[in-house]
Amino acid sequence: MTPHSDDATASPLESVTRAIARAWRDLLSVYYANTPIWRLFKSVGLLFFGFFCWTASSLVLSYGIEWTILEYTRAYGFVLILWGPLTHAVIVPLVIRLRRTADRPLVRAIARNGSKINLSIFLAIVLILGTAPVSPMLLDFQSPLQSDSGSDVNPDLSCTRADGEISCTLSETEGIDSVVVTSGESQIARVEDPPYDVTFREDDLESVVGQKEFVVELRDEDDETLRRYRRSVSSVPNASLEPSSGA
Amino acid sequence: MAHKLDVLGLFDNEYRDDGFRTCSVTGLEVHRSVDNHVKLFGLTAVVALLYGGIFAFTVAMTRWEVIGLLDAADFYTHLSLHAWNLLIFWMVFMEIAILYVGGPMVLGRRLPFTKVAKAGWLVMAAGAVLVNYAIWTTEAPNEAPLLTAYVPMPISPLFYAGAIVFILGTVVAALPFFATMWYEKREHPDKTLPLVSFAAFVTSIIAVEALVGGLVAFVPTLLWRLEMIQWWDAAWYRQMYWIIGHGTQQINLVAMIAVWYFLTHVVAGAEVVSEKVSRTAFILYLFFINLGAAHHLLSDPAVSTGWRIWNTSYAFYGATFASLIHAFAIPAGIEAGRRKRGKGGGLFGWLTSAPWSNPVFSSTIFSIILFGFLGGITGVMMGQLQLNMTWHNTFATVGHFHGTVVLGTTVAFMGLVFFVIRTMFMRQYISERLASIQPFFYSAAMGVAVLMMMYVGILYGIPRRTAEVVENIPGTEFSLSAASPLFAIFGIFALLAIAGGVLFVLVAVGSLVFGDRVENGADNADLVADGGLGMAQDPDDPVHAYEMRGTFVLCLVFLAAFVITYLLNWYLLTQLWSIGA
Repeated sequence: MTPHSDDATASPLESVTRAIARAWRDLLSVYYANTPIWRLFKSVGLLFFGFFCWTASSLVLSYGIEWTILEYTRAYGFVLILWGPLTHAVIVPLVIRLRRTADRPLVRAIARNGSKINLSIFLAIVLILGTAPVSPMLLDFQSPLQSDSGSDVNPDLSCTRADGEISCTLSETEGIDSVVVTSGESQIARVEDPPYDVTFREDDLESVVGQKEFVVELRDEDDETLRRYRRSVSSVPNASLEPSSGA
Repeated sequence: MAHKLDVLGLFDNEYRDDGFRTCSVTGLEVHRSVDNHVKLFGLTAVVALLYGGIFAFTVAMTRWEVIGLLDAADFYTHLSLHAWNLLIFWMVFMEIAILYVGGPMVLGRRLPFTKVAKAGWLVMAAGAVLVNYAIWTTEAPNEAPLLTAYVPMPISPLFYAGAIVFILGTVVAALPFFATMWYEKREHPDKTLPLVSFAAFVTSIIAVEALVGGLVAFVPTLLWRLEMIQWWDAAWYRQMYWIIGHGTQQINLVAMIAVWYFLTHVVAGAEVVSEKVSRTAFILYLFFINLGAAHHLLSDPAVSTGWRIWNTSYAFYGATFASLIHAFAIPAGIEAGRRKRGKGGGLFGWLTSAPWSNPVFSSTIFSIILFGFLGGITGVMMGQLQLNMTWHNTFATVGHFHGTVVLGTTVAFMGLVFFVIRTMFMRQYISERLASIQPFFYSAAMGVAVLMMMYVGILYGIPRRTAEVVENIPGTEFSLSAASPLFAIFGIFALLAIAGGVLFVLVAVGSLVFGDRVENGADNADLVADGGLGMAQDPDDPVHAYEMRGTFVLCLVFLAAFVITYLLNWYLLTQLWSIGA
């Protein structure tokens, strides 16, 4: 910092007062700065800051932390995303122009108090939305994508080996329409009737990096995949041992 | 005399009899060999950018599930092509060009062993084509590799072969740079390297570390895939792989910072406020930054907690400290340099009076700001053992590295391409206005897309690398459909960002093909820093005599964002398990 012309013997209180006054003047000059690059800086800066306040508050609230202040910081951020750019790209330049050109008393009054009016409207909206949030702010939409995904299909698959054949069974079959076994590019087996037990020969399986692998897919009535289980033959127990299970 | 292959006259400049020319913008003595090889690698990088950008479209339009462009199987293939072309080929070709700029060009030397440089380019290009071919022709039982290609996932042997060839090509292409450094130090043993050359040298050392790690990872894996060896240790592969997997991103980071120093000096009149401090920061990178790669193993078995904490906390803070030094030093250099040129005024007058319509300048500044706020803060935070738990493998991770390698590195490299078009290819932009707008448009759109990625990842735990989560998690009642509005915003801004990328390619390629030729130095006068670069050499007017309070305020804002984000994430982590309750 370079020295400036302040009295070096000023009391701490005076120094603090001066620093605050200078900071206020700096803030005002930044607020009213009106070159294109300043307008862009302030607009984008406030957009990002608004987004940060909104998302961070939403995030903390989503963890079930119920601090009232967060509802207002969330509203402040949400409104700022739009109002920051609106203020610095439109209203401040307009107010500055009107102060130079306005000739009717009403317009002059608006020009003189334009920023106060703007900030008052902004804060009023923040208070209202903080108290009575609207659904877009809460990301509380009834999504058009809401799919009726139905029941949770997650049965255990148990496979065993015997005499060069592999047999697999499912612990539950609800919601399943067919079971398909593939290895590499080729389909090895397909079963379309409950209980969907499937048996196939080890020799039909393709070998990848020295391992014979197969994939068991559970599909619904539209032939859409519900679950996939990838197994290597070496991990499938012999029929005389305990069957393996789990996804 | 143009070469017979030079059909567009792109490799044709006016040189003196000794093969050198004096650059009217930088004042550097540039040799024909440097010009031509920087152009060759830079152009190739732009081709990779264009190709990878096509897959940015298909990948983004798949993740935006309202569009749902690709099936799950195709999605992995496209995602792999997107990653390899943009994260590896666009950047590494560009980085070799940066080595040639930071080495022989800044030092005013010719590029030695030009045949080796050309051979390196050929081998790199062959490797890149091979990797692309292998991924594009993926079929069962092979899987698309994504970026990681974890063992024991079966992947086409051609992919590993391509990756190895590309790595070897990169090492070969870097050899002329090392030779330049060797000659320079032999001729001037007592002279310090210029800062940009020093930064390029540090980049090259980190690069060689990373590339050797890549060979150690990929060569045995190729042998395993060809079934010449029976078994390969998955944990060992992961640890070796990440030496290159994240090491390449550290090369991007250091090369990007070298570009920041170079371009802010040339087009904005920035000066180095403290050579010692900036060089120390690069040395910290050298020792610590590659250890940061350990954060990829934070949720994996096989490495001890002590190893994780050491690498991702204590060691990595060495690199973080270096980044924070650059975060102050570069804007401070701009501020002091511009105040020295009488372009200050008030707290931020040095910044607002800067040449914002010059895309070289605006790209560089956006890269600095967005890398710091979006990529840097999240990287340091999520690269930590504990906080990683809430970010690991979510879409927020994808947001983080798009903050670093897209908003940071890619935007900075775009600025460098704009610079090279004017000062090496000697072409005017095909449209000044479009060139001026592009960095603003691209950075803003990509910035919002990145924020959305982070937000859906953190708020909803949306996983990465997945084609369908919002619309359909097969066979489950678990629904993430609440995230769909944010995905809509992500999708729209991803499209805008891709449009910004297309605009860059159009302006760059259009300028090369149709742009007016820069006939003399006066045509490039608008690129020169206010008052020229000679002012930096005045010993009676030291840079540290000028104020840097604007930078100080900006750094306080950055620090506040850092601290709040950090505390917030820690607080949320404590809420997960109600510690002490």
